Amino acid sequence: MTELFIAFVTGLTTGGLSCLAVQGGLLASSIAREVEEEIHSRPKKRGDRPVIAGASRAWMSILLFLGAKLTAYTILGFILGWAGSMIQLSPTAQALLFLAIGVFMIGNALRMLEVHPVFRYFAIQPPRFLTRFIRRAVKNGDSFATPLFLGALTVLIPCGVTQAIMAAAMASGNPPQAAAMLFAFTLGTSPVFFTVAYLATRLGARLEAWFLRLTAVVILALGLFSIRSGLTLAGSPPAAWFRPAAATPSAPGSDLILTALNDGYSPGLLYAVADAPVTLTVVTENNRSCSRAFVIPSLQIQKLLPETGRVRIDLPAQSAGAEIYFSCSMGMYNGWIVFVENGAP
Amino acid sequence: MTVKTFHVAGMHCPNCCMRLEALEDELDGIVRIRADYRKALIEVEFDESKTDFTRLFRLASEQGYCLSEA
Repeated sequence: MTELFIAFVTGLTTGGLSCLAVQGGLLASSIAREVEEEIHSRPKKRGDRPVIAGASRAWMSILLFLGAKLTAYTILGFILGWAGSMIQLSPTAQALLFLAIGVFMIGNALRMLEVHPVFRYFAIQPPRFLTRFIRRAVKNGDSFATPLFLGALTVLIPCGVTQAIMAAAMASGNPPQAAAMLFAFTLGTSPVFFTVAYLATRLGARLEAWFLRLTAVVILALGLFSIRSGLTLAGSPPAAWFRPAAATPSAPGSDLILTALNDGYSPGLLYAVADAPVTLTVVTENNRSCSRAFVIPSLQIQKLLPETGRVRIDLPAQSAGAEIYFSCSMGMYNGWIVFVENGAP
Repeated sequence: MTVKTFHVAGMHCPNCCMRLEALEDELDGIVRIRADYRKALIEVEFDESKTDFTRLFRLASEQGYCLSEA
């Protein structure tokens, strides 16, 4: 449930703005006809602006557009979850995926901020035949089919934040969960789309530029977060910079108990006896968060923990002073095990 | 048919390509517009006898883009 709530809030805040910047053109196209009719039906006055407040059919077009978008992304979520379940990515592959997504997002954020033209190469430009096809469809389609069609097409031009949610959905490896994540996210983006579309009817280049700058900063932060997740999953030294601040150390032993909570692992720091095999038991109780996807990157161990239950993991003997990091598969929650001689920290 | 290339100032996302390429439907004599976001260029394929570039410049400017000959 936590992931769904996060996905919804992400959509409601940053996702809505980011998607609007990328997909605003499609939404504007889908209501173009209503706007045009509204302008033609009004008496010409000085200072008339193409505002559709009161336009009879525009709200229906916007709702159809958003409904189609919601359906398309939910289906995409299901497919991604299914693909994720088919391809069991190793912790290293997941780490590389997160690092690549992080680089992609940071590159796109710097592009949006127009730091240097070289960052334009991070943008994915829809192929010309597709954009041409959309234009023709808008011109020839009827007033209900067009917004439905264009709403569904948004699935082909996901924004940076959407791509991050898509990656998370795929990483879940659970089709219904992945579909629910994208449904929650897209639902979250809808109020921003509806409000802006209804009040402004079309995004001018200047307004779009303003949205892009605002979202660039957010995407930059999400990109850094993704890099951090990638580094955590890679089990690399920088992950140690993010050690849980309030980690309560456990008493040293060869039978370790770790609790996977909805918001992390407890204790965050475990001491284990060196030079002897160690048993790690991970306990869950009504856990519905990503901490259930438990990973020890350096040992290439990954376990999907039950919502409630105990999972035993055997760790090979480690020399004194060795440290093993563990985290959830998103790299969000982590902790570590320190091996000590004779159980003395 | 003749092809001419223009620099575009004001392109800030790939969506701008869609907008600029859509101008090919608005103007007589312009057969095709290919926009390249990465290089900030548009390539216009046109019929010299029918094309009025002043209109192209004006329509682009209304959308927030400034064209200049490459």
